[in-house]
Amino acid sequence: MPKITVDGTEYEVPEGKMMLQALDDLGLLLTEIDIPHYCWHPKLSIDGSCRMCQVEVEGTPKLQIACNTPVRDGMVIRTNTEQVRTAQRGVMELLLINHPLDCPICDQAGECKLQDFAVRYGLEHARTRDPRRPAKKGTPLGPTIMLDQERCILCRRCVRFCREIPKTGEIGVFARGDHSLLEVFSGMELDNPYSMNVADICPVGALTTRDFRFKIRVWFLEDRETVCNQCANGCNLYASVAYNKVYRYLPRRNDGVNETWICDYGRMSYRTIRENRLDEPRLGRSTATYSAAIRRAGEGLRQARDSGGRIVGVGSAFAANEDLFVLRQLLDGLSAGPGLLVVPTGKADELLIKEEKAPNAAGARLLGFEESSGPVGPAAVALVLGHALPAEAFEGVETLILIDTHRSPLVERADVVLPARYFAEKVGTFVNHARRIQRFLPVVEPVFECEPEGQVLQRIAVAAGLDGFSGTYDPFEISKRLAEEATAFAGAELGTLDDQGQEIP
Amino acid sequence: MTPETRKKIETLFERYPRKRGALLPAIYLTQAEKGYVDREAAQDLAELFEIPPVAVWEVLSFYNMFYTEPQGRHHVYVCTNLSCSLRGARTMLKSLEAHLGVKAGQTTSDGRVTLGHEECLGSCGTAPMLRVNSDYHENLDTDEAKRIVDSLE
Ligand code: SF4
Ligand code: SF4
Ligand code: FES
Ligand code: FES
Repeated sequence: MPKITVDGTEYEVPEGKMMLQALDDLGLLLTEIDIPHYCWHPKLSIDGSCRMCQVEVEGTPKLQIACNTPVRDGMVIRTNTEQVRTAQRGVMELLLINHPLDCPICDQAGECKLQDFAVRYGLEHARTRDPRRPAKKGTPLGPTIMLDQERCILCRRCVRFCREIPKTGEIGVFARGDHSLLEVFSGMELDNPYSMNVADICPVGALTTRDFRFKIRVWFLEDRETVCNQCANGCNLYASVAYNKVYRYLPRRNDGVNETWICDYGRMSYRTIRENRLDEPRLGRSTATYSAAIRRAGEGLRQARDSGGRIVGVGSAFAANEDLFVLRQLLDGLSAGPGLLVVPTGKADELLIKEEKAPNAAGARLLGFEESSGPVGPAAVALVLGHALPAEAFEGVETLILIDTHRSPLVERADVVLPARYFAEKVGTFVNHARRIQRFLPVVEPVFECEPEGQVLQRIAVAAGLDGFSGTYDPFEISKRLAEEATAFAGAELGTLDDQGQEIP
Repeated sequence: MTPETRKKIETLFERYPRKRGALLPAIYLTQAEKGYVDREAAQDLAELFEIPPVAVWEVLSFYNMFYTEPQGRHHVYVCTNLSCSLRGARTMLKSLEAHLGVKAGQTTSDGRVTLGHEECLGSCGTAPMLRVNSDYHENLDTDEAKRIVDSLE
């Protein structure tokens, strides 16, 4: 492997890569080594158009662009000499020459590379007095994205994204020189299942999502690690949170799962954290207290067991492994046979979107839940997590106990209803389609009384008088047990998983 | 796009290491059919080159010798770069606009002339100048320019 020296420190870098890519592969870019760049993106082709990434290479008279200069053994690179700083100042000045400087009303302010680099590398004031070139402000490019043409620095990241990732090619940079403008191709709209990623990669405030725009200033937000629960891919996310509310999802890089992208459907699913939530325990048609509902559920199970009635458990592909584990224990304790599993399905594509529209079908299968599509009944009691099933499936079920996160027709059918914490409100693990176990952490607090499914099940087990249940739920403890006992989960434990997850055998 | 044009373009491919290199000559060939390349023709080119239509459109919009709308029988392009502008090119262009009743970039309603302006045509020593199709007319003044335009069929 070639050795290069950057600002006096020697690094061994991968062969045959461009400088920026090589440094990024080693995780050095933006951490140890500071080479500002606009147009280069680790997952897109090289453009070399912004000229911001210039560095000094010993033995080369002119500055080189780090995004498109291959590493050579023995290369000596300097990133912060006077010559480099002068070039960066010049680039910033040219990029800003037609920029409207409307940061106070720009939604990108606070997370804008133009602002950040202007502060770090730019001039303090403009040297031109010519009027700035006017262009289109705030026009929709399609159903999801707004364009402010004046703010665009023509880095073509969005253009390359549309051509290279979803391969839809709706947008382009037209005309030449200072007439160049980013536009949607005439007769088209920017409309594809991944369209909103362009707002993430646009380094400036030219592209913003119509959904998030003007909702909140970004400096009030805190980005918290989570994963998407809308399909079996389990894309890694940040939830941007303020005032205990998720304002948006952003992709979090994981090269083994979603690289730096997410689909629009998954992105918009942050709304499911607040929308249509099941927010009160019920006994039949009437509201009940949490403990009354638990007592009733426990009694129902005990009676069924004592009278030899059939008890069926239905797991959920939306539930965490740890919660499902408690359900399995409970079913074992009642000698009820393996739990059933119903996985919602839909369209898949070749990029990220998977057919199974739930995050943990693989985990549920590993835990012994058996897929079924037929009716659940007849039975004395059905104990059900989630609502992937229609109410008709429960014909012939005498007592339906439902522990769920969202409202559905099934709630009307159930005899005992217990609201549960949604994944965004608790900790646990999912196993994605490729058997990668990933953790999720609480990003908000629930706004009504509810408990994790595992906790509810523990309390029900105690109320049913089952042995071996303490009434308390500790997902870390369960995960540890799973990692030790179940071969499929070997070594993959909640307490030691990192933010990139881990493949399991 | 006619089958003949298509065939001509396909033979061009061999001359370039990558197909895409043949795009400019291919656009010339396509433009020769109707005098401009519309969205449909761009679509045909895109298919032939296996690139998205938007990429063809970017190239079309980059060069000013490519047209995306019907053109007049003659192109009258006034140079408005520095030397020509210093010697009155912009006034000349304005009076041609008034004379023809169109703005730069537009075509007269009889389809005779498309008027436009251009950057330096390398004839600064004889500024101001204009070109009619591929002929240069140099050392002009407004009256001479009008006379030239009027003489066009
Ligand atoms: S809109 Fe944004 S991403 Fe697209 S070219 Fe302009 S600055 Fe780059
Ligand atoms: S591909 Fe699946 S996991 Fe990824 S963001 Fe979309 S719905 Fe979520
Ligand atoms: S990042 Fe290298 S030229 Fe833009
Ligand atoms: S400036 Fe007009 S020909 Fe050069």
